[in-house]
Amino acid sequence: MKMRKLMAAGLCVMMAAGLTACGGGSKDGGSSDAGASKGEAGSGSLTINIWDANQQAGIQEICDDWTAESGTKVKVEVIDWDNYWTLLESAASGGTLADVFWMHSDYAQIYMENDILLDLTDYVKDVDLDQYYEDILAIYTRDDGKIYGLPKDHDTIALLYNKTLFDEAGVEYPTAEWTYEDMYEAAKAITENTPDDTYGYAINTSNDQDSWYNFIYAYGGNVVNTTKDDTAIDSPEGKAGMEMVRKLLTVSTPQAVVAETKTDALFLSGKAAMITQGSWMINTFYTAENAADYAWAMLPYADLNGDGKCQKEERQSCYNGLGWSAAANTSNPEAAADLIKYLCSEPAQIKQAELGVTMAGIPAISEPFAAAFDGMDVSAFDQIEAEGTLYARPGTRNSGVWNNAMKQAGGFLDAWQNPEDPAVMEQACDNVAKMIRDAIAAE
Amino acid sequence: MKQKRKMTAAAKNEALWSYLFVAPTIIGLIILNFYPAINTVYQSFCKTGDFGKGNTFVGLANYQTVVSAAETWQSLWNTVKYALIEVPFGVVIALVLAVFLKNKLKGTSVFRTIFFLPMVCAPAAVAMVWRWLYNQQFGLINNIFHTKVAWISDPKIAWISVAVIGVWSIIGYNMVLFISGLQEIPGDYYEAAEIDGATGIRQFFNITVPLLSPTTFFIVQTRVIGALTIFDLMFMVMDRTNVALNKVQSVVYLFYQYTFTQGNKGYGAALVMVLVLFIMLVTVIMQACEKKFVFYN
Repeated sequence: MKMRKLMAAGLCVMMAAGLTACGGGSKDGGSSDAGASKGEAGSGSLTINIWDANQQAGIQEICDDWTAESGTKVKVEVIDWDNYWTLLESAASGGTLADVFWMHSDYAQIYMENDILLDLTDYVKDVDLDQYYEDILAIYTRDDGKIYGLPKDHDTIALLYNKTLFDEAGVEYPTAEWTYEDMYEAAKAITENTPDDTYGYAINTSNDQDSWYNFIYAYGGNVVNTTKDDTAIDSPEGKAGMEMVRKLLTVSTPQAVVAETKTDALFLSGKAAMITQGSWMINTFYTAENAADYAWAMLPYADLNGDGKCQKEERQSCYNGLGWSAAANTSNPEAAADLIKYLCSEPAQIKQAELGVTMAGIPAISEPFAAAFDGMDVSAFDQIEAEGTLYARPGTRNSGVWNNAMKQAGGFLDAWQNPEDPAVMEQACDNVAKMIRDAIAAE
Repeated sequence: MKQKRKMTAAAKNEALWSYLFVAPTIIGLIILNFYPAINTVYQSFCKTGDFGKGNTFVGLANYQTVVSAAETWQSLWNTVKYALIEVPFGVVIALVLAVFLKNKLKGTSVFRTIFFLPMVCAPAAVAMVWRWLYNQQFGLINNIFHTKVAWISDPKIAWISVAVIGVWSIIGYNMVLFISGLQEIPGDYYEAAEIDGATGIRQFFNITVPLLSPTTFFIVQTRVIGALTIFDLMFMVMDRTNVALNKVQSVVYLFYQYTFTQGNKGYGAALVMVLVLFIMLVTVIMQACEKKFVFYN
């Protein structure tokens, strides 16, 4: 009898232990390995979170260089974009963030305000901050001047086209002198002179930054103004930009198709002759089977004054840059800050460009990236910096709210669905402007 | 007069041990289920701060917005429509299969395994495969039938396409429950019916269906609740820019959007409380029906 009781008690204890172990395990799961190896002074390890699997190998290689110097191991983990912010938010709430991770302009402000990120101000005293793109550094600087992230890279947008499809339809290749009207004519001709399921242009409306934002800015509008308290989407200029988008949509792959098969897949399978893409996507097309058919051109411009020439402000590309940030509660702030400084230093940025990972966050480094893609001319991404205007990706404190809403029913979705009717697009511009203003008011 | 009996030492001892034995489960329930549930109710009355800090009490404000938003009712209707397809078809098809697969025929276990397989697969993997089957340009379905149907982005049919996946995934589970229910029915009834000259179909409707009704009721009740809380199918199959999303998204999907994508936890909590009330209402109605339709031996 006594034996049985003892065994029962033992089992109880084991169950309880199992339960607490589970609880503890899940809590530690997302956290860094740094805590575990804190004892080994100097060494230890850091965990990095990023969202782009294309960059993982390159980032890991650069981190390994740092490991060779510092002796601290680095593990790069990828969480795709759709889940990245959900997981990061719950990790931040639970205090189990990775040591170092990517920050984005859409979310930076809310993370900085809540002291989730490590204050890097003191650590970067010896870094020449003027070398970085000003707008990008500003994204990761709080209103009080404290720095919470260093620029990892910058990106611009260019037009990607399929030479074979242009030849098939007998249309001239895009040039640096193209206006958006020229682009429309070319897209129309290709759509008409190729098989039914092949179109001249495919626009990924869910990716605003590399598609329709640029139209609005080229026509003189804006999505959010520089003081971040209003929008000009419903201004005549903004509406003119969206009207051009609408016009192009009438000769582009229908949005019902794009919602199921992304534009990059449509382009790669020869179903779309043109797409607009950000510089972070180059590698996908560079390593593709038919890469020899692909070429890049600068984004077209909007000839607003009708002089037949492109003024600087008539050609606009969104530009954005990610930031390297660290968790405020990381167990190894010195190592984390040192890693960030290394990743954003000139040698590491040059290596990042050479590996073709992304363009550098330092304007002075533009050569290595263009040279990284042997046989493919990617100068269009640099050219627009010189011959056009770059605008920072528009954002407010909690951009996610309006950014999602405006792409759904009640917003632009209605017009994208039904591109034949200009009135629907005009109405959508008004609706979206209201959404943005309401969202700003609620922030 | 009722007198409270004093516990003997042995009884006390026994009670202590029984509490100890249920403790792990109870503690688990409290930490993992009750505490979050109560917290959700509390949050539904709050304007929640970023990263779970600084909640401010706002009373019924969240509920007012939820109830007055058209998308709430649209998503509730979407969810009900989904349930109206998934539950009846899932039950009827599973029942028919169970009747066929109950008997010891050659290959029974092979078929049972095949029908149960979807249950073993990860829902995400299932959804990804269906997504490719449905794809408008390159999908297998459109390629075989030479059609150009936008299965999951035409608002008129997308909700049916999604529900079909739901039915397909749940048939195996329902079938296994039905088979075990069928094995409970004594063979004598069928023998007697056969002697009286009843056909297989009459046997099915007059013996199998009534005697199986407790199992059927259990399945219907759990599946209704399951279908009303559906999330993963819509989330995996449809992109956020999908044109048909508004006509397909379930309440839980909307809850996910608000709570996790936009970080508005108070609003999400209020939304999910509305769903809980709705499920409670449905359950009460079903319990009332139980007395009328379910035949207990």
